[in-house]
Amino acid sequence: MKVPRKEELLKLQAQYKTDRKIGQVLGVPAYLVAYWRRKKKIPKYSLPKYGFEKIKELWETHGDDRKAGKELSISKAAFYKWRRKYNLLEKPKVLKLAQLEFLLPGSARGKNRGLTIAQKGLALKAGKSEVQVGEIVYVEPDLAMSHDNAGLVIKQFREIGVAKVWNPDKIVIPLDHRAPAESEKTAEAHRSIRLFVKEQGIKNFYDIKEGICHQVVIEKGHILPGELAVGTDSHTTSYGCLGALSTGIGATEMAAVWATGKIWLRVPESLKLTINGRLPLGVYAKDVILYIIGALTVEGANYKSVEFYGDTVENMSVSERFTLANLSMEMGGKFAIVPFDNVTRKYLKGRTKKTYQPIFADENAMYENEYEYNISRLEPQVACPHNVDNVKSIDEVKGIKIDQVLLGSCTNGRIDDLEIAARLLKGKKVHPDTRMLVLPGSKSIYLEALKKGIIKTFLEANCVVLNPGCGPCLGAHEGLLAKGERCLATTNRNFKGRMGSTESEVYLASPATAAATAIRGEISDPRDFLKK
Amino acid sequence: MLKEIKGRVWKLGDNIDTDIIYPGKCLPILDPQEMAKHALEGYDKEFPNKIQKGDIILGGSNFGCGSSREQAATSLKYAGISCIIAKSFSRIFFRNAINQGLALVQSKEAYDLIKPGEVITVDYVKGEIVTENERIPFPPLPEVVMGILEDGGLIEHLKKSLKK
Repeated sequence: MKVPRKEELLKLQAQYKTDRKIGQVLGVPAYLVAYWRRKKKIPKYSLPKYGFEKIKELWETHGDDRKAGKELSISKAAFYKWRRKYNLLEKPKVLKLAQLEFLLPGSARGKNRGLTIAQKGLALKAGKSEVQVGEIVYVEPDLAMSHDNAGLVIKQFREIGVAKVWNPDKIVIPLDHRAPAESEKTAEAHRSIRLFVKEQGIKNFYDIKEGICHQVVIEKGHILPGELAVGTDSHTTSYGCLGALSTGIGATEMAAVWATGKIWLRVPESLKLTINGRLPLGVYAKDVILYIIGALTVEGANYKSVEFYGDTVENMSVSERFTLANLSMEMGGKFAIVPFDNVTRKYLKGRTKKTYQPIFADENAMYENEYEYNISRLEPQVACPHNVDNVKSIDEVKGIKIDQVLLGSCTNGRIDDLEIAARLLKGKKVHPDTRMLVLPGSKSIYLEALKKGIIKTFLEANCVVLNPGCGPCLGAHEGLLAKGERCLATTNRNFKGRMGSTESEVYLASPATAAATAIRGEISDPRDFLKK
Repeated sequence: MLKEIKGRVWKLGDNIDTDIIYPGKCLPILDPQEMAKHALEGYDKEFPNKIQKGDIILGGSNFGCGSSREQAATSLKYAGISCIIAKSFSRIFFRNAINQGLALVQSKEAYDLIKPGEVITVDYVKGEIVTENERIPFPPLPEVVMGILEDGGLIEHLKKSLKK
């Protein structure tokens, strides 16, 4: 064995610290390394001393021994020892906001090119320090969501021939699309799902009683900021309202995720949308996002990750942000993310006990395109048949006769949506030539609406209140359209034949516009009712 | 090995959405042969009967936009469609088609150069669409995508890799 030179020994010490580790690398006992070191007058490696402040700060930033230790290049156990020394035994309940900037190890930091949320999130999941746009990564999702189409996923899963799902705790299945079952076929599918979740020990199964899948996922804390979700529903993008990366996939692909826990994803280009200004009276998140889709078109964000910024977004509730993220799918978005902030933190309080690691874009992140909007003079918007980007201002479409008004869906079925509609409908009646359907987004929304007297208002106005679920939004059941009929809906798609006959029409608008339209029986401006 | 696909062309427009391709009311169907009977029903009720095995669809931009329902891809495949050429595909539809083993070609040029009813050949090896008068090159698919397609879909691909 050749004795290493002094420089070599110093280099090894910088890398491996202790004599024992250096010895392991060189294949010699630790005492021999110590002997060489003494002969060459190299002092023993000593642990740097960390003060209380430093340890406390790192603990409150990360809340995780491994991650905090990484910052000091020490092990998980070593960090724990320091923490114990300073009596920092309790896990921080909330990670410090100012310190939440997600730090990537290694090369990505401090360099001139910044990274987007999608890049950071996928790098983290792929265990890489950095990923490039266009790169394909293999990742394990934190959440795999399916609804009634779990029936088809199960069929494909059996086909693969793996006996057990990769992780039953990461699978969430709420039944909502055809709930309760509208046909024998669906009844069979629901039954197969109920049996499957028992067989596989999937605890996060929500039978028909709970509500729309995306709403349930958010309410029950199944997805957290910075996490990655895939779902067999295109509107899985909605979880971006909590700063998560989430996207839709097909049933066969989900079967593969169930079997292997892995999926390939292409690192997408990102768009930065900055929305500023105060929402005018009668104008809501729905109008804002419809306006943007009208401007960017239905494929304006295809394959891309959309990030939302600006004071309008900062002032929005999680529910409103949900509407933005949800409808971003209608311009093709792969992810649609509103970065984590205090609003998100408050929403999650009490919904989860898990710690989470929000992800933020670098200030100098590379976007494919940046758009800025000032919405302080925006008017209520309506997406006309048969594409979601066929968006017009209310003035251009008011007066069109409407046969059915639909209030609900994952896009606009939350308590604030029901509240504003009820405010307009209070003491009034739905026009006799029009019918209005109301589907609260979930059981908890339904209960809250009951408590607030909103359901009573709807019933007194002659609305038909249905159980939480998707129902007519996708033309499944509960209020399909006949040939020649027109519906104004707060939902997310107005494709030809979406809600029934291929010769019917669907217009998309906000809950306020929906209520105003129901009262007059024709597309109406909600501001006419709000001014009084 | 995916080499050549020859077929007659059906030319459709832009934004052919998943509701046009496969209506929501048919989603509870689990049998692919049964699904095939509803392929592109929203476009033309008789479409499934008009398709001959091996036919090729030529779409405009954003083909397959909308829902994540893979039945849109499955129904087309089982109806006999051998390949879809489009200016662009919607993200989820693209994945679904590949996962069903349905060949896709993205080409911005092809749309204006190919007439409806024309018989064309898609040559995956050379990466070109061959018509009577033209040879239209198209970019290759990513390796991971090609691997799935060549195995005939994700299930077969997975079975193969699990055996290893």
